[in-house]
Amino acid sequence: MAQDDLDDLFAAARSRPLVPSEALMARVLADAMAEQPKAAAVRAAVAPARRGGWFAGFAEVFGGFGALAGVGGAAVAGLVLGFVQPATVTDFADSLLGAEVTSVTLIPSADALMVEE
Amino acid sequence: MPRDSLDEVTDEALLAAYARGEAAAARALSLRLVPRVLGYAARLLGDRAEAEDVAQDAMLRLWRAAPGWRAGEAQVTTWLYRVVTNLCTDRLRGRVRRRTDTLEDAPEVADAAKGVEAGLIEADRMAALDAALAELPERQRQALVLRHLEGLSNPEIAVVMDIGVEAVESLTARAKRALAALLAGRRDDLGYGDEV
Repeated sequence: MAQDDLDDLFAAARSRPLVPSEALMARVLADAMAEQPKAAAVRAAVAPARRGGWFAGFAEVFGGFGALAGVGGAAVAGLVLGFVQPATVTDFADSLLGAEVTSVTLIPSADALMVEE
Repeated sequence: MPRDSLDEVTDEALLAAYARGEAAAARALSLRLVPRVLGYAARLLGDRAEAEDVAQDAMLRLWRAAPGWRAGEAQVTTWLYRVVTNLCTDRLRGRVRRRTDTLEDAPEVADAAKGVEAGLIEADRMAALDAALAELPERQRQALVLRHLEGLSNPEIAVVMDIGVEAVESLTARAKRALAALLAGRRDDLGYGDEV
């Protein structure tokens, strides 16, 4: 048989690939699914440490990031009131005490707390 | 991973996605690789049912190898062809042992060859090719099928068969000559009778 005839036969064979039966594909995919959970389990075991970090753990103590946002907001508001002393705070103290107040101490000094009777 | 983009993803990337737990990757890899694995096994064994078992076994080994697969170390297809080659070699050796024990049950492909008559349709030409392939020595058959039917390069075949590139060239050349001689007597049967 000539070389060209042989090449022609090979080309014909390449153009007619075997088509796997549905049953075979189902068997192969069933094996794939059966073997895959092991890999997924490894991934799940590694994932929390990679995803969270120390801040996530810290936030969890306070009930998650949402709760921590509230705590943070209150802390910032306290600092603003303590340092900035907005006019409304001194005005409110004026009306309450009936005397002119130039500054309000929101956090009592340690001395006042330590006075012994 | 979106289904549309899977066609452009390499086998290795799909295997890594499978190992990460993506079910779509298993399906995409199966659709891509099982036809090749099955076709190669069928040509080595000359038996469809046995080839299906080998294809499933080879794919199972791939799924198991996926979590430990090292990127860039081996080509997925080359690795699979090697596994299929070894599985088929084991089966063919077992078949020889059984035949020497029982001295019966000629291979299915040999029966197919006997039925070849003039004016064959395409399927019969393929049967004649498969019958002639079955006559080749095992290593020649592997090299020829990988080169001319599976379309692998000589360096890739060298990896699959664990031999040098020169040995591959020698095997494929000898296999082609032997195949031409085997099919020479059937030239008319194969539909080449009218050609000059």
